[in-house]
Amino acid sequence: MGLFSPIAGFGVTLKQMFRKRVTAQYPKEKRVKPQRFHGRHVLNRYPDGMEKCIGCELCAGICPARCIYVRGKENPKDAPVSPGERYGFVYEINMLRCIFCAMCVEACPTEAITMTHLFEMSVTTRDDAIYTRSELLMSPEGDVPHPQPPSKLIDLDELKVADGWMRATAPAGRAAYEGVRGWTPTAGAGHRPPERGQSGDDGADGEEDA
Amino acid sequence: MPSQPDLVTFTVDGKEAQVPAGTLLIEAVKAAGVHIPHFCYHPRMKPVGMCRMCLVQVEGPRGMMLGTSCTMPVTEGMVVHTDTDTVAKAQEGVLEFLLLNHPLDCPVCDRGGECPLQDQTMAAGPGESRFVEEKRHYPKPIPISDLVLLDRERCILCARCTRFSDEISGDPLIEFKDRGNATQVNTFPDEPFASYFSGNTVQICPVGALTATPYRFRARPWDLEAVESTCPHCSVGCRISVQASRNEALRFLGVDNGPVNQGWLCDKGRFGFEFLNSGDRLDTPLVRDEDGDLVEASWAEALDRAAAGLSAAAAEGPGRLAGLGGARSTNEEAYAFGRFVRETLGSNHLDAQLGDGLDPRVLAGITPRAAIDDLERARTVLVWAPDLKEELPVLYLRVRRAATELGANLVVVHPRATGLDPVATHTLRYRPGAGTEMLRRLADGSGDLAAVRAALDEGPVVAIIGRPGLGDDPRLAEAVMAFAAGLPDAAVLPVTRRSNVYGAADMGLAPTLLPGRVANDAPGRDAAGILEGLASGDLGGLVLLGSDPATDYVEPQQAAAALDAAGFTVAIDLFLTPSAAKADVVLPALGFAETEGTVTNLEGRVQKVNRLLPGPGSARPAHEILEDLARRMGGSIGAASAEALAAEIAGTAPAYAGITWEALSWGAGREGIVAPGPEGSQPLAVAPEDHAPPPAARDLVLHQARVLYDRGTLTQAGPSLAKLAKEPAAYVHPEDATRFGIKAGAAVRLTGSGGSAELPVVLDPSLVAGTVYVPLHLGAALGAGLEISMEAVT
Amino acid sequence: MTWSRATETRAAAILARYPEKRSAVMPLLYLAMAEEGGDLTEDGMRRVAELTGLSAAQVQAVASFYTMYKRDGVGRYLVSVCTSISCMLCGGDEVLDAVADETGVPDGETGEDGLFSVEHVECIGACGGAPAVQVNYELVEGVTPEQARSLCRWLAEQRPETVVGDDLQERFGGQRSFDWGPEEAEGATGPVPAFGPLGTTGERS
Repeated sequence: MGLFSPIAGFGVTLKQMFRKRVTAQYPKEKRVKPQRFHGRHVLNRYPDGMEKCIGCELCAGICPARCIYVRGKENPKDAPVSPGERYGFVYEINMLRCIFCAMCVEACPTEAITMTHLFEMSVTTRDDAIYTRSELLMSPEGDVPHPQPPSKLIDLDELKVADGWMRATAPAGRAAYEGVRGWTPTAGAGHRPPERGQSGDDGADGEEDA
Repeated sequence: MPSQPDLVTFTVDGKEAQVPAGTLLIEAVKAAGVHIPHFCYHPRMKPVGMCRMCLVQVEGPRGMMLGTSCTMPVTEGMVVHTDTDTVAKAQEGVLEFLLLNHPLDCPVCDRGGECPLQDQTMAAGPGESRFVEEKRHYPKPIPISDLVLLDRERCILCARCTRFSDEISGDPLIEFKDRGNATQVNTFPDEPFASYFSGNTVQICPVGALTATPYRFRARPWDLEAVESTCPHCSVGCRISVQASRNEALRFLGVDNGPVNQGWLCDKGRFGFEFLNSGDRLDTPLVRDEDGDLVEASWAEALDRAAAGLSAAAAEGPGRLAGLGGARSTNEEAYAFGRFVRETLGSNHLDAQLGDGLDPRVLAGITPRAAIDDLERARTVLVWAPDLKEELPVLYLRVRRAATELGANLVVVHPRATGLDPVATHTLRYRPGAGTEMLRRLADGSGDLAAVRAALDEGPVVAIIGRPGLGDDPRLAEAVMAFAAGLPDAAVLPVTRRSNVYGAADMGLAPTLLPGRVANDAPGRDAAGILEGLASGDLGGLVLLGSDPATDYVEPQQAAAALDAAGFTVAIDLFLTPSAAKADVVLPALGFAETEGTVTNLEGRVQKVNRLLPGPGSARPAHEILEDLARRMGGSIGAASAEALAAEIAGTAPAYAGITWEALSWGAGREGIVAPGPEGSQPLAVAPEDHAPPPAARDLVLHQARVLYDRGTLTQAGPSLAKLAKEPAAYVHPEDATRFGIKAGAAVRLTGSGGSAELPVVLDPSLVAGTVYVPLHLGAALGAGLEISMEAVT
Repeated sequence: MTWSRATETRAAAILARYPEKRSAVMPLLYLAMAEEGGDLTEDGMRRVAELTGLSAAQVQAVASFYTMYKRDGVGRYLVSVCTSISCMLCGGDEVLDAVADETGVPDGETGEDGLFSVEHVECIGACGGAPAVQVNYELVEGVTPEQARSLCRWLAEQRPETVVGDDLQERFGGQRSFDWGPEEAEGATGPVPAFGPLGTTGERS
């Protein structure tokens, strides 16, 4: 034990005082989320208003928390809900069970389900935690419904930020496809651009151009 | 004992193996533990080598040769390679070709997730396609029948469906059309794929080209729960896989049980699951209130009422009560019902049949009894029975296989054309009521029947004997059985349709039998006697177990009147049938796939049925209901569970000794165990006798027989099958039509022993003149009598 | 349905030739076409199914595989131009264009007036006399585009009841594969091959 040992410990404290503060004063202040943040889900539509979901249940099949319930149904011939034969007739996610792993997003063959940046979805009953089509499905204009009204905490614009997973991933994982758009446009957001910076060329940028 | 086939030795991937000579390479290699991917090959059909997926390399004098293993029989010393780079490359190439035009709509395809093409592409296919051109397009699914949809884009032209309908079911209504790139499976215009077996093509389709309407978009394979069971629709007892999602039955698939159904099902069995999900199912007990209406009640109240009513009737004297039904229950429930009626109600008046079947002693104790699989070895098959295609469809497939594939002589005796006629060696027709005369001529075998008799004298003979129609006396069937038993190396299969009627007879649900095929020395009344007794007041009460005499009894109106007159009636059923609607207390029972137990099929094979679904509302297993009733009446059946009942049956019923649930659940027992016949039982001693006045004295006789899709409760409770029931009609011989001055399509009024009906006329030259055929249970109730009068309606 | 008495008699004769009834399906399909003036109708296929004991779907499967069973209607004169290799090298395609232009009927179609059907066919076994043309399956060899035009004009003007190969060859043909073949006495009366048992042969006009 040295002479300064009794006060050396204060040095640690002193050093921390000059470090950049990490704690965010949520909810007073909100941090900028990473581009691939996993918030609540949204069911997308094509710009023409057709639903992207085809009710294939792959999301429900892959879900490790078993929190998704989907049932398909034959598209009405005269007024189809989605392109093709089948649409998601029942779509429910139990947000209490969801672990926000985004496996559903990966499994989805039509990019129907994606995740947004909004995670504020407190509820007062368990039933309210089950999001159905009416809470998940965006309007033909691209507006996403949310059970709670906008507030200081709930910034509904965050619902329009699609998570970047799909835009960062190339078909079959090939580097040659980087920057090549392999996804479909979405109502309200148009054809989202590729996520940049995969090869570390010019750093991350989270900007969206609609 | 058949002689041991010659074995050949071959080498697959360096391993030596032995198989019988003539085995196809694909099967031989499977036996040696090596799997070869394939699409068109099906073990129950002839190989065609169309899909080219099963390519293997065989060493030959000119080096290694690629060949399709499904068309190559194994020869001595053959050296086969399945895991070389060449084989892998060939299979990858085949898959790339198969996928050229195959749409990638797996996410919306009903087959996605259980698709051989998907699986094998993942296992052996190329990662990417080099095909960048537009794929072939057709309109997405077209309905080729009421039950089957065809998506030609997905078809890989393996010909499994067309081969099935040609080779196995014998109604080739689908075929390959056009050629080259445009080749497609389709039906003839305006001739839908209305086969009784169309669902099998959906099951064997290796892609999602053929899908079933009732299952369309209902679930994906990964959210299905499945349990193996035995089909509840007829007495063949096909092995099935019951599949459900979220407690709703969604489909039945055929399971290959070699001795019984060989993987096939009829469409009634396959799509008949819908009754389980019907909104009309009883889910709460009903009791009759002061106003005479059936109102919902608690179980305690309903059971108290039932027990009080039955006790009061029982107190009037011995044998005042009776039990009808049990032919649709499990053996355990039937056994519990028998004990309840015999011990608690103190009565021997018990019948599982409704006057339309055979003597229960015949069902339980005929010797020598045939098994279905005896058809594989038969030289001659005699069918003097209901139209098997209409009543026991999968038995029809087995007989058809014997007659076509295996080359057996087939003799069909029936009042009109049957489904088997096109493959029969000899068909004989007779007027209902003149069967005895036909039998005498057949036994005599002279004149024009000499060839038939010669065929019958070629053994081994399997005789499938039943009542072709309601007009045929059960004693005629017994006389035919006695005749058939005398043919060389003969075995007899007595056939009647209702699903577990054989099990019910074995469990003693018959006036003349006790459980385990033991004769009852103090026989009670049969169905006819019970209904008579109820009408006359000799009987004071009745318990119905899944039985609807007001619809199913041979004289429905008589039965309805008897039920109206009955003092006190308790009905245990799945639906509020016309009979249950007349009961004083209705108790909802659990049905198929909701209870566990065993059933016995027409060859005496005991098979397991298993539970998967919870059942509607507060419905309970029938044996629990009976036990509760018995306790309230101061008795007890004793066994607490169905499994305990099964153990009791195995212990007390001689024929069922050792047939436990355990034995039926594993290994060879899953094929079912044939309950041995009673030891030392004497053969039927029935001589052909004139049991009815000769029909020549009558002008017209009535032939009534069932059709597959009728207006029965279970058929009508499911939307897919309900719409398949045809409108009733009178089938008249053209000569009679001329005689009566009526034309096809015109209306006639038929008046029989139990009712009268106005029906449109269909000309049917396959009848013997003087016979009118009316399908049963399509809405025309004429009674069971042979006599019929016909007049044109203007 | 049943056919005319004469056709039914011919059908019975054809069926009698085969030990298995289904073997007669192909000649009976020609017969069905002859009965309907060259067109194989659904009713025709149904009747063949009845006669052979096959299902209608099976009959249609055979009929739709072979291009000579015309199920979409056919004109009074079916002009078939060979475009397989020998004829192609000798100008078969030009002959086909000339025929299509002269008749106003594109390849593979039937004219609105029902007079001509034009098709290209694969090798019709007349390579030695390429390019070759058939009118109602009666062969003309060594046809130039100009001769093909005049053939079509002649057919449209004369409208012969019976088309005879040798006759056409004399009028419009050129180089023949063989010049020593037997003279054909009979010709075709419709767009169905001239087979005696089908009743599709007629006397030279």
